[in-house]
Amino acid sequence: MILTQQLILGLLVGGLYGLAAAGLSLTFGVLRVLNVAHGELLMLGGYGAFWLFTLWRIDPFVSLLAIGPAMFVLGLLLYWALFQFVVKAHEEVRIKNSLLIGFGLTLVLHNLAIRLWTADERAVTTAYAGAVARIGALAIPLVRLTSLVLAFAILAVLHLFLTRARWGRAIRATAEDWEAATLMGIPVGKTYLLAFALGTALAGIAGGLVSVSYSISPSIGLEWTLKALIVVVLAGLGSLFGCFAGGILLGLAEATSVVFLGGPYREVVGLVLFLVILVVRPQGLFGGRA
Amino acid sequence: MLEVENLEVSYGALAALHGVSLTVGPGEIVALVGPNGAGKSTLLKAIAGLMAARRGTIRWEGTRLDTQPPERIVECGVALVPEGRRLFARMTVRENLELGAFTQRAQKERREQMDRVYTIFPRLREREQQPAGLLSGGEQQMLALGRALMGLPRLLLLDEPSLGLAPRVVESIFSILGELHRDGMSLLIVEQSVHAVLALAQRAYILEGGKIVGEGDGQSLLKDDHVRAAYLGPLARGGST
Amino acid sequence: MKSLLGGILLAVGFAALPFFTARNDLLNLCVQIFLAIALAQSWNLLGGYAGQINLGHAAFFGLGALATRMLWVGGIPLFLALSAGAAVATAFGVLIGGPAFRLRGAYFAIGTLALAEILRITVGNLMPEISAIPAPALASYNILPRYYLTLTIAVLCVAVVAILVPSRVGLGIRAVREDEAAAEASGVGAFRHKLLALTVSTALVGLTGGAFAYYHVSYYPQHAFSPAWTFDAVLISFIGGVGTIRGPVLGALFYVILKELLAVRLVEFHLLIFGILFILVVLFLPGGLVEAWSRARRLITRKS
Repeated sequence: MILTQQLILGLLVGGLYGLAAAGLSLTFGVLRVLNVAHGELLMLGGYGAFWLFTLWRIDPFVSLLAIGPAMFVLGLLLYWALFQFVVKAHEEVRIKNSLLIGFGLTLVLHNLAIRLWTADERAVTTAYAGAVARIGALAIPLVRLTSLVLAFAILAVLHLFLTRARWGRAIRATAEDWEAATLMGIPVGKTYLLAFALGTALAGIAGGLVSVSYSISPSIGLEWTLKALIVVVLAGLGSLFGCFAGGILLGLAEATSVVFLGGPYREVVGLVLFLVILVVRPQGLFGGRA
Repeated sequence: MLEVENLEVSYGALAALHGVSLTVGPGEIVALVGPNGAGKSTLLKAIAGLMAARRGTIRWEGTRLDTQPPERIVECGVALVPEGRRLFARMTVRENLELGAFTQRAQKERREQMDRVYTIFPRLREREQQPAGLLSGGEQQMLALGRALMGLPRLLLLDEPSLGLAPRVVESIFSILGELHRDGMSLLIVEQSVHAVLALAQRAYILEGGKIVGEGDGQSLLKDDHVRAAYLGPLARGGST
Repeated sequence: MKSLLGGILLAVGFAALPFFTARNDLLNLCVQIFLAIALAQSWNLLGGYAGQINLGHAAFFGLGALATRMLWVGGIPLFLALSAGAAVATAFGVLIGGPAFRLRGAYFAIGTLALAEILRITVGNLMPEISAIPAPALASYNILPRYYLTLTIAVLCVAVVAILVPSRVGLGIRAVREDEAAAEASGVGAFRHKLLALTVSTALVGLTGGAFAYYHVSYYPQHAFSPAWTFDAVLISFIGGVGTIRGPVLGALFYVILKELLAVRLVEFHLLIFGILFILVVLFLPGGLVEAWSRARRLITRKS
C-alpha cells in the first residue's frame, strides 16, 4: 500500500520532471548548448507564480498564462545577451562554453534570488491546496494531478507546434542539420532564438507548477537542472514523448527507492541511474542522437 | 543570369578557388567537371552562401549573392541540392518537401508546387509518410531535388547528383533535369559522371586545382582529347587512338 | 623568470608574515587565500591545461577532508592522516577516470557533478552529526601550524603545475586540450595523459581537503563535498586566467580579498559579482586577470 501511494506521488511529480526536461532537450537538441542554469530559470518561473499569487491573488494555474510569455521574453534576452556568442563556435567548444556561461548564469540568478527574496522556502497555498481524491486507501492530491495533466497538455501542444507549424518544423530541421536548413531558406539565428526562448518558457511554466504543487527556494536550481539532465539523458534527445515518459520513469524510480532505501536517498537514485545510462547507453532509451 | 567573377575562396590558409569566373545564362544548362578536390563543391557552396568569398563577386540577375546569408540567397531564387543530399532523415518525405517551401515566396504556392513535385516524382507521393532516411538512394536524390524545387528556384545548383546511384537511376534523374530545363530552369551541375552530364549540358567548364582550365560547349568537350584522357577513362582513350 | 622571482618573493613574504603580526583575522584570511590557491590550481591542471571541465572537484576535496579528519581526530599523526586523505582522493580519481573519460565534453562535466552530489548526499546521510575537534586539541588550537601547512600545500600545487606543464608530459596534456583526435593520431595517448592530469589534480585537492579538515574547528562532513568548492575553483581559475600558472594565484588573491571586503556590508553579494565577472571573462577576456594585466602593461609601455 505504501509502495502504491509512493508510486502515485512519483508518477505525479514525473510529469513535471518531463516538462522541465523538455525545455532543456529543446535548447540542447537544437542549439547544442547545455544551459546548466535551466533549473534557475525554473526557479524564476516559480517565484513569478508565487508573487502573482501573494501580491494580487492570481490563481497559480491562471498565472501561467502570464509566466509563459514573460519567461519567453527573458529567454529572448538571455539569448541575445549571452548565448548568441556561444553558438558561433563549433560543437565541442560550443558545449564547453555554454557550460561555463550557464554556470556563471547559475551563480548570478541564484544569488540575485537570495538578495531579492531571501533564502526562505516558499509555496503557493491556494484555497483548494489540500483537495484530495481518494481511491480506497490511496490519496491523490488534486493540485498535483492537475499539474500532471497540464504538463502533458503543454507537451502535446509543443509537439503539434514542432510537427505542424512552419517554424516548428524549421526548429526540427535545424536541430538535425543546420547547414541543410539554411539551404531551405531557414534563418539559423532566428531559429536558435526561438528554440531558446521556448525552452526558457517551458522551464518557467514548469517552475510555476512546482511552486503550487511543491515548494520553491533560490536553491532548487541545481536540483532541478540535474533532474532535467537525468531525464534528457534517460530519454535521449529529440523525443518529447520520451521526455515525458522519462520523467515518469524517474519519478517512479525515486518513489521505489524512497520505500526501500528511505527518503534521504531519493536524489541519489536518480543520479546513479543517470551515470549508469551515460556509460551504458548514452543515446538514451528513446532517442536517436547521443 | 549567374555571373561569377574572380572568385577566391579559402579554407583558413588553404586557397581552394583562385580567381574563378564563369557564367550561367538564363535557361542554360552548364556543367562543371574536374578531378576530385578541384574545388567544384566549394564553388557551389560559395554561390549558395555556405562559404564566404575572400575576393570576387557572385551576381544573380544583377543582385550580389556573395554578401548575403544562405537563407536570403534562396529567397532570390537560387537553390543548392548539396552533395550527399543532406536530407532530414528523421523527418518524413512530406515534411522534407514542406521545409523546402520555407521562404515567404514559396509558402504562397506550397500546395501547387507540391502537386507538381509529386507529378514529376510519383514515387515520392507513394512514400509520403516515410522517414526520408528509409528511402533508396535514387528516391533520396529525387526527394532532394523535389525539396529544392519547393523553394521555387530559377537556378538550380546540383552537386554530384549521380553519386552512388545505379546507371538507370542516373538516366532518369538526368532526363528529369532535362525536362526542368525545357520548362525554363537554369542549371549548374557538378558531376563526376562526365559522360552523362556533358551529353545534357549546353556548355561546360573544366575546373582543376581551383582554376578554370577549359570551357566549351558540351558536345565538343566530349570529343576533346584532354577531357577524354583525363575523365573518360581507359576505354575512351583506347577508342581515340 | 620574472614570474618565478615574483612567486618566490610572494611565498617568502607570506612565510614571514606571522613574524610581523599576531592578528588572527589576518592570518585566517591568508589561510583562506592559500586554500583557494590550492583548490584552484589543482583544478586548473585538469580543467585549464588538459581541457577537461571537472565539475566534481569537490568530491575529491571532500574525500581528502573526510579521511584526514577521521584519522587525525582518531589519534593518527597528522602527516599520515594527510597522506591517507590524499591517497583516498587519488584512488577514487583513478577509479572513476576510466569510465568517466569515455564521456565526451559536457557529459564528463555533468557526470563528475553527479558523482560529487551522490557522495555529498550519501556522506550527509551516513554522518549527519557535526564533526568537532575534541576538547584537548581545541584548547591547544594554534593557527600557525595550519598557516604554514596550507601555505606549503599552496606552494606545492603551484610548483607541481609549474614543473609539470613545460615538461614532455605536460606537452602531451596540453595537446589533448587543443585537439584530442590530433593528439591521439600523433601518438600522444590521450587517455593516459588525461588520467595522469586527473590523478595529480585529485592528489593535490585531496591534500588540500586534508588541510581543510585540520584547519576547521568544527563543520558538517558533507559540507566538504559541497559543490560550492568546485564553483570556487572554477571561478578563481577563470577569473585569474585559466590555463596559466599565475592565473589561479592572482584569481585566489582577488577572490578572497574581494569576498572579505564585500562581506563587511554585502553578504553573499560576492557570488553575484563574481558570477557576472566570470561570464564577462568567458565571453570577452578568456585570459582573465593575467591577460588583462599583460594588456595593461603593453598599453603602458607603448605610451611611454
